[in-house]
Amino acid sequence: MRLKKTMIDKNKKPRVAIYDFTDCEGCEVKLVSLRERLLALEKKIDIVNWRLGQERFESGPYDITIIEGTPIHHHEISLLKELRENSKILVALGACAALAGIPGIMPEKDRKVWYEKIYSSQYHPAGVDAVPLSAYVDVDFAIHGCPVDEDEVVRVFEELLAGKTPSYRGFSVCFDCKQAGNPCRIAEEKKPCLGPITQGGCKAVCVSGGSPCYGCFGIREEANIPSLVKILEKIADPKTVERYLTMFHNRTKEILELKDNEK
Amino acid sequence: MISNEYIAKIEGHGSLKIDWSKNTVKLNVHEGERLFEGILVGRTAEESHWITPRICGVCPIAHNLASLRAIEDAYGIKINKTTELLRDLMVCAQNIQSHVLHLFFLALPDYIGIDRGTELAQKDPTSFAKALSLKEIGDEIAHIVAGRNVHPTRTTAGGFHKIPAKEDLIKLISKLEETADAAEWTAEFFSGLEYPELKVDLELVAQDENEIVSSKTGAQFIKDYKDNIEEELRENSTAKFGKYQGREMMVGSLARMVIDGLGNSASKWEKKLDFENPYHNNPAQAIEILQFHKKAQKIIKKLLETEMDASLGTANVEESVAADEKTLGVEYQGIGAVEAPRGGLYHEIHLDKEGIITYANIITPTVQNLTSMEKSAQAVLDQHKEKSREEKERLMNMVIRAYDPCITCSVH
Repeated sequence: MRLKKTMIDKNKKPRVAIYDFTDCEGCEVKLVSLRERLLALEKKIDIVNWRLGQERFESGPYDITIIEGTPIHHHEISLLKELRENSKILVALGACAALAGIPGIMPEKDRKVWYEKIYSSQYHPAGVDAVPLSAYVDVDFAIHGCPVDEDEVVRVFEELLAGKTPSYRGFSVCFDCKQAGNPCRIAEEKKPCLGPITQGGCKAVCVSGGSPCYGCFGIREEANIPSLVKILEKIADPKTVERYLTMFHNRTKEILELKDNEK
Repeated sequence: MISNEYIAKIEGHGSLKIDWSKNTVKLNVHEGERLFEGILVGRTAEESHWITPRICGVCPIAHNLASLRAIEDAYGIKINKTTELLRDLMVCAQNIQSHVLHLFFLALPDYIGIDRGTELAQKDPTSFAKALSLKEIGDEIAHIVAGRNVHPTRTTAGGFHKIPAKEDLIKLISKLEETADAAEWTAEFFSGLEYPELKVDLELVAQDENEIVSSKTGAQFIKDYKDNIEEELRENSTAKFGKYQGREMMVGSLARMVIDGLGNSASKWEKKLDFENPYHNNPAQAIEILQFHKKAQKIIKKLLETEMDASLGTANVEESVAADEKTLGVEYQGIGAVEAPRGGLYHEIHLDKEGIITYANIITPTVQNLTSMEKSAQAVLDQHKEKSREEKERLMNMVIRAYDPCITCSVH
């Protein structure tokens, strides 16, 4: 998931569309939480389409399309493909779009049973499966997080608008954790943690709050997942480790590959 | 297809299907099903309050607290006074955050002739600065107490992984004092807007302690929530439509105002509310911003007066809620209820001996409002017959928005 070339014309205000598929919309709430920084950003772009924020609606093509959420609904899958065709740059906003996130915990094969239990056996589902955007289309860049971090959103936008190719963080959550002054969950507290294989930039907000790191910022480049799993299985039972790996990553290619290799 | 068929400026995807020849309107919900009640099964008690906030990024604290309460109810965990106060403070933050987002960014444009909420920055910079200062204080309290403005990181069954430092609470007090005028202005401003005329026979329902209270029929116990709040399946809708004892119900700020009782202490703004006009949910939300803003200061002062207790409540077998004998394999069951920004929220969780979730049921506020939202849209058609189609559509979209629906929550 990397931009191959710079596609934004620095001299023109890019036409931006913001979409939300099935999700909690918490990442869009984070956009509003940018407050003054959102106003500053709005001056540099032309938001021509944002259902949550405005009535104004313009058809594509768009310079940048930002998509939050998982394309679960069959309408969303066809819309996603159409948006890809109509967008120079397509950005996944948050864990649902980038990883399938929490909705991805539900395996496709189990959906039928749950439709029956939650709705009824007569129910006609609208949903297909909870998978990342990248399962259907090429994604140019992913702003990770559940929810995204405000500073990361600003950083990625500034890089995009400067005509640069945004980069992923080259460090892990461990680096953020050290900076935050947290004791190491794995080494000192003997608790599982996905920090070592997870891209940093989140300021270790979950671990700092006392919660586990479930890896919502995406698997970092060159992460050694099997080694971490071995270490975690020394301090926790395999089922617990499995629950950590499947909280946000049940449908990501890295974890699917890991499971395939174990077989 | 790239189109604008969905109602703008509400959380999630809904649309109104109007039959002009018959003068009828139906509300359709098009959000994908995430099947949260299935996602929870097989996960642990401690994961429940991590997962359920992801139902809704606008009211994640409400879902977090509902799950915590369900787990604590199941295990008979008693929380200490500090935890209780800090959680009440989270509720204040949640309501301020959610109401400010809805009022200024989603609802207000309808009333002052702008489209995107941020256009207020140019039209009326002073008012916009006040709105932003309130958004900031809501986010700041959530951040200090819950660990983050969206999706809490510090909460756990029985209390908090970490409680805030007193210095941080002192900083919050001064920020609350600085924004007191903005909160008061919000109540005044939204009470002074001109709302469309509409008369709907509304059954207003809100939680009060351990009861669910209806403006028409009195109180029921929260533990009997399932017997009183029914969910109906609809064609073309991924959300179920809720009813209270078979009738349309409205939950949220307007309902809380009437259920909490408008006594002598009611403010001049509360006295102006019309409980038969759903558009008045907006001024009710604005009044609540002020109420929660004041309450937050009181809670923090109380916390600062005493030694804060960071200890966690622990499971108490004698007080745990055992499942009845017919539910095989289930050891514990609990119900957690919260008055979320949009109304009463209910989480029910069952666990086995190992603490693995075997059953979950979630009823969200918007589910309870959907039937009444449709009824109110119909009332617009019936009571504004002389208006143009375009104007009627505008008024219907506005009345849907006035409920502050969270379609995302309603499907979950």
